Amino acid sequence: MRPFTIVLVKECLDGVRDRRAVLSALIFPVLAPFLVYFLIHTMIELRSQDKDMLVAVQGADNAPHLMAWMAEKGVEFSVATGDPKTLVSNQSEELVLVIPDNFAGRIAEAKTSYVELVSDSSRNDSRITVARVRNLVRGYNSELASLRLIVRGVSPEVMSVISIVDSEVASQQEIATSVLSFIPIYIVLAAFISGMGIAVDSTAGERERKTFEALLINPVSRLQIVLGKWVAATLFAVLGMSLTLVLSMLVMSYVQLEELGLRFHVSALQVIAMLLATLPLAFLATSMQMLVGIFAKSFKDAQSYIGFLVLLPMLPGLYTMFNPIKTETWMYAVPMLGQHLLLTDVMGGVAVPVIGYFLSPLAVLLLCFVFSAITARLFKRESIIFS
Amino acid sequence: MIEVKQVSKQFGGVSAVKNVSFLAPAGQVTGLLGPNGAGKSTTLRMLYGLLAPDTGQVFIDEINVAENTRLAQSRLGVMTDNHGLYARLTAREHIHYFGRLHGMENEQVEARASELITLLGMGPIADRRTHGFSQGERTKVCMAQCLVHSPGNVVLDEPTNGLDVMTTRIVREVVQELRVMGITVLFSSHLMHEVARLCDNIVIVSMGEVVAEGTAEMIKLLAQEDDLEDAFVKLVEQVIPL
Repeated sequence: MRPFTIVLVKECLDGVRDRRAVLSALIFPVLAPFLVYFLIHTMIELRSQDKDMLVAVQGADNAPHLMAWMAEKGVEFSVATGDPKTLVSNQSEELVLVIPDNFAGRIAEAKTSYVELVSDSSRNDSRITVARVRNLVRGYNSELASLRLIVRGVSPEVMSVISIVDSEVASQQEIATSVLSFIPIYIVLAAFISGMGIAVDSTAGERERKTFEALLINPVSRLQIVLGKWVAATLFAVLGMSLTLVLSMLVMSYVQLEELGLRFHVSALQVIAMLLATLPLAFLATSMQMLVGIFAKSFKDAQSYIGFLVLLPMLPGLYTMFNPIKTETWMYAVPMLGQHLLLTDVMGGVAVPVIGYFLSPLAVLLLCFVFSAITARLFKRESIIFS
Repeated sequence: MIEVKQVSKQFGGVSAVKNVSFLAPAGQVTGLLGPNGAGKSTTLRMLYGLLAPDTGQVFIDEINVAENTRLAQSRLGVMTDNHGLYARLTAREHIHYFGRLHGMENEQVEARASELITLLGMGPIADRRTHGFSQGERTKVCMAQCLVHSPGNVVLDEPTNGLDVMTTRIVREVVQELRVMGITVLFSSHLMHEVARLCDNIVIVSMGEVVAEGTAEMIKLLAQEDDLEDAFVKLVEQVIPL
């Protein structure tokens, strides 16, 4: 067995026994997918609440036609008794639609009828219902208005100068992707979180426990030691990433995304492609953490620096979340941005140029080796061995 | 055999070791004796290849450490002065890890580990994780780690520091045994009586320089003192500017 393997096996054993490292490696990959599930589930809940909307009405008898028209659009009614303003302000009703006695009479005279919509705009949960009721009443209004014009021999088009036709360019899967764009961010985060325990423990921890000197006296090249430690930490990072990815996909298959008008389908092959696309990040994360770890004198010292490293992989994800960019080939060569693009493209069912699959891991691995070579050099520095 | 030839080392303009030379022959125990901060650890670190000397050379079994570091290290067993251990590994796993790093095969290491566990009286602690080990227990693990590959040269940096009488005795017995086996033992300490008791040869360093070298008798003669401790203090203080 090569020294590299011996170090690797020892670090893995040490890591598996480190309850703190194992816990921090597993908690995130398990929790993150459920957070996604919870978010989307809440969105669906809100949407389905929307469908069977219950509206409190006072004076429903005054406008039977309006009531029937709204009921057709999926609104159910309840009778509100008492002062509508009190009902809303003491939160027993989201809103109250008040129809005055003269409603039908004024319509018959072709005059403007007034309905009162009592609501509390400081309440977030009723905002959607209020907007819907308002739209429904407007819809009823324009339908009646059109009829009045037709009766008078005027085309209803006279009234509508401009009409907006909504047309969505993004494919359904692309909308789903933007909703689900936090999944790639989580996967990238998992790479940084899951391997951290071992990456830090095998560098800063080794210095803190004063085992470093004894280790380096062995007739083994520094590079072999660094590689063994690096790969051990990376194994944990890969495990965390895979777990996050697989759990996310599993959870997504349980969510009724169709309820949101979204279609989301990822094949096993795509999952593998996503994993392959992001695996190099695990190597990058741990090589960066080891480099920081070797500078730190203790585990705690290292953790405070590494906290900032976690922000790094999130930048491209967050940036593209708020500022969609047009993908160009060179972007695949930018570490972290490249992986993010690959992930979102694969998830969105967009074809990735073959060169993207080669360019992004190549760029990342190159960077990794630079970091690891620096770490191996630092393993020779006197001030780091003896401190 | 360990040979140190005119080795010097500076740290940021301060001379830690000045032109130090000595020979630790095979089958003998050589004591490197000096007060705290005399340059003992620095000398040893250059000897086992973790620190590069500014000038001079070190030879382990006639292998130049600077030129052939790993080969020289494979002939060396070293116990550093800090006795650091991996808290989540057992004593046996420590011995195993270091044996494997020295290129030993699995079965070979296992046999050797059992041998060392008996030799050092580590039976009850062998399969316990080292977290919470006493100073004596830690020293035993480090000692076993250092001897696992049966090196021809053993360097012990202040091995009896902070030990109780029982463990100190075990360390002494092991050193005696190594000598009988024809192994070169280099032993650093700041305790005169310990060195006098164990060593065939004493090298006294002070302020980074060798101030005396020879048997205990020769050192007493050189300092013109009857008591070895008085001789030590006298020789050490010669080079300290007052």
